Amino acid sequence: MGGDADLVQRCLNGEPGAWDDLVALYSRYVYAIVSQGYRLTGPDAEDAFQDVFLRVYDRLGTLRNPDAIRPWIAQLTRRVCLDHIGRKDDDPHPAEPESADATLDELDEAFAVREALGRLSDDCQEVLDRFFCRDESYRTIGQELGIPAGTIASRISRCLAKLKEQLDA
Amino acid sequence: MGSAAAETASKAALLIAAVARETGGSWPGARGAAAQAVALGERLATLANVDAQVFTAALDALAQGAPDLKSRLEEAAAVPVEIAEKAADVAEAGLHVAERCDGQLRADAAGAAALAAGAALAAAHLVRANLALPAADERVRRAFTAADNARYAASQALDAGP
Repeated sequence: MGGDADLVQRCLNGEPGAWDDLVALYSRYVYAIVSQGYRLTGPDAEDAFQDVFLRVYDRLGTLRNPDAIRPWIAQLTRRVCLDHIGRKDDDPHPAEPESADATLDELDEAFAVREALGRLSDDCQEVLDRFFCRDESYRTIGQELGIPAGTIASRISRCLAKLKEQLDA
Repeated sequence: MGSAAAETASKAALLIAAVARETGGSWPGARGAAAQAVALGERLATLANVDAQVFTAALDALAQGAPDLKSRLEEAAAVPVEIAEKAADVAEAGLHVAERCDGQLRADAAGAAALAAGAALAAAHLVRANLALPAADERVRRAFTAADNARYAASQALDAGP
């Protein structure tokens, strides 16, 4: 059983902290779909966000394949967003925003990269995070990690190769 | 001028990425090197736009004698420092690629490192000259350290082989 399936089972068993873990894991994903895919903002976005997790809580027991929780949450989020847009526009069948599919694809890819990154060694996570996310220079990374600056590029390349292995696995 | 330096270093980064990609299968780290160079090129392209904006704002503040002139100038000084440091990273990436790429492409990688080193020096010069900062200023020191590192990396790249 994979990590997602474990988490689902822990939630269904009512284990302390399991729901907090699930919300922590998927909150940014859900919020990104709400705000970027469906352009909901302010109170609309907050309402939709809460509705999604209420539905997740109510319906988690109906999830057939616990390893597929991410696409399931994505689908729930899409429905919630469309419900909100429909209520707001007084339209029972609102159209999907044109950019929604592309945005969701990008978010899924970003989520997959983040998961794969989490399976790398701490050293690799650190150096990739510093270069690609925190925008630090080779020199700064070298100074902070006590590594010669001239070896940072090689190290990043090696870690990217390992990241690709994880993504392909 | 700062944006020209950033654009030059950005183009150098994309050239380095192209060399790494062209080398491909004979070097396992080629794709990782290309990804780093692309990331640097994109950041420098963004910095080129940012520099143009903050420099224009600083000139406007100077012409109008604006009360926030000092903060505008400080802001304008920060961008070329970042350009110099990113350009130094491009030169370092150029060295990394020049030492490992297909020999027929080495001159391109080394040349790109040299372009990046020139851009780093130009940006460092701007930090000092445009804002008349003293040589002991931390920003001037950082920018020229980056320029020195870039020049060293470029010279090594140029010596990496024919």
